[in-house]
Amino acid sequence: MTPVASQYDQLVRETFIPQIGKIVAMDDMTAKDRYLKVELEKPLGHRPGQFVMASIFGLGEAPISISNGPTGDNVLEMVIRKIGRLTQAIHELKVGDRLGIRGPYGSGFTMNDFYGKDVLFVAGGLGLVPLRSLITPVVAESGRFGKIRLISGCRNPSEELYRDQLKAWTEAGVSVTRLVDATENMPWEFGTGLVTEPIPKMELDAEKTIAALCGPPVMYKFVIKALSARNVKDDQIFVDLERRMKCGVGKCGHCQMNEIYCCQDGPVFRFSDLSGIPEALQ
Amino acid sequence: MSYYLATQQNITQWIKGMASENPVFFPEKYGHSSYRFAPVGADSEIQFEQYKPTVLPPVKLLIPAREELLSFRKKADGTTTVESSLDTSFRILAGVRPCDLKGIFLVDLFLKEGVPDPYYLARRANTAIIGWGCTTPCDSQAFCAAVGSLGHTEGADVFITPLKDGDLLVEVLTERGKQLAAGADWKPYEDGAARKVGAVADLPEPFGRTFPVPVEDIFNQVSRRWDSPVWDKHVERCFSCGTCNLVCPTCYCFDVSDDINLDVESGTRTRTWDGCMLPHFAVVGGGHNFRPEPAARQRHRVKRKFEYLPEKFREGAVCVGCGRCGRQCTAHIDIYDIVSDLIGEGGR
Repeated sequence: MTPVASQYDQLVRETFIPQIGKIVAMDDMTAKDRYLKVELEKPLGHRPGQFVMASIFGLGEAPISISNGPTGDNVLEMVIRKIGRLTQAIHELKVGDRLGIRGPYGSGFTMNDFYGKDVLFVAGGLGLVPLRSLITPVVAESGRFGKIRLISGCRNPSEELYRDQLKAWTEAGVSVTRLVDATENMPWEFGTGLVTEPIPKMELDAEKTIAALCGPPVMYKFVIKALSARNVKDDQIFVDLERRMKCGVGKCGHCQMNEIYCCQDGPVFRFSDLSGIPEALQ
Repeated sequence: MSYYLATQQNITQWIKGMASENPVFFPEKYGHSSYRFAPVGADSEIQFEQYKPTVLPPVKLLIPAREELLSFRKKADGTTTVESSLDTSFRILAGVRPCDLKGIFLVDLFLKEGVPDPYYLARRANTAIIGWGCTTPCDSQAFCAAVGSLGHTEGADVFITPLKDGDLLVEVLTERGKQLAAGADWKPYEDGAARKVGAVADLPEPFGRTFPVPVEDIFNQVSRRWDSPVWDKHVERCFSCGTCNLVCPTCYCFDVSDDINLDVESGTRTRTWDGCMLPHFAVVGGGHNFRPEPAARQRHRVKRKFEYLPEKFREGAVCVGCGRCGRQCTAHIDIYDIVSDLIGEGGR
């Protein structure tokens, strides 16, 4: 029997063989979070909210959020938290070192859902990293939106990410609320409290508002509750979920919740599409 | 499609003839009462009696426990060369029972859908399958008829139905089947179709364990149960060992990891079997587990077989009723009992 090979070899190249990216800049944003700017061999061509599979050969691969807006060039920006063996090793890389990158994967955000609306971003901790891929194009075209607001919270002042970026967005006219759970005796000129707390008090046109949320699993339920109390409906809320994908192409099973594969159907979902999926948020 | 009539001796000679040219896997007995798919050699005994399903289903020959995805080599200038690893060797799986044929048929669909899985599909494209009909339930654990996989033949290149008189009815179903059959010492048999219908009509009734409702109604019953005491009842005995996943003909979830060779320059990226019953399966970076409770994991597993994938693919139950998970479970947890309880609860 004649072996059949070539079409599958092509598929392997398209699906499982990463392209090689070169680190061109990096910055330690906090003691455990490092910003990386990577130059790729070919344009990433991503939408806001998508992710890549980043790898170091010999150590493995992990899903990582894309943090830059869709500019159409060869640049990929990420913020990687030191959390395991692979991310620890990524923290040890230097400018000029290389990373394997597959993707982009996932559905991402669609700009058309946001045009003409008051946009409310709610970011908890690392959630600001993927949300930045949407905030950036929204701010760049700010004339096409109503009010643009961001509530960004983290545990304490030393954990805040993208400080210069938050300042720049504020200067660009975004209403930015910077919060920490507690100052823990560190200098902090902004507010304290949870990201839910500003919601009941804010001036809000429920009909016109669209919200995009990203943060730790525990955050969603409470933010959604606060938004519902202000009559923002479930189909006006987008959530960007976290799962530990191993393949990125809907096969390995790790990101499955009910009939949905987070890597293919998400990780960005309209919240109304998640009713009946109790495992989505917790 | 064409029919032939063959004796047991014809079939034995045919299989051994093929095995002299290509690897042919056929169920063989090992240990006291277990069976496994093993390469056929000149001395192998071709099993014509009914036997218990092999411990591992034949689909696992298409999804190895450990499979290389790519290999890499770091060069002195800091760059890395990456090569794809693709198995395109030819093999024949023979003696594949209808439950296992249905399993392979379903995994074919799952791994073709969306972004196709090239590793599986390449191996599958280079695999010929000889199906083998069942005339009696293999043991008291099977419930293949209840989930509609007993009569499954799709995916086989050749399908063999044992007849009452000991002869075998051979159906050649595909072009590849025709190539395999070339040179076989069988009698063309015009009445094959009628004879097969007769053989099927002679099957014992009921065939194995049954459910009180048809399979379509099972989906309704299962899909309505998110909060149910049934999820806690059986899982109380569960060790979360994942054996049910490993022996299941429709489980294919995997983990991906890298290994580096002793030269510290080259290595491989491999995927290995993983299972949704294992405690770590839904853990994300930072440690949050989306299914920390065994009951949540069991619910996911059962619903995947009887709700999620059936709804998505519309090819009936994704549990093929082979009974392997119940047979192999250390704690005797049986998906048949779980589903029966869910149905019973629904009827109240």
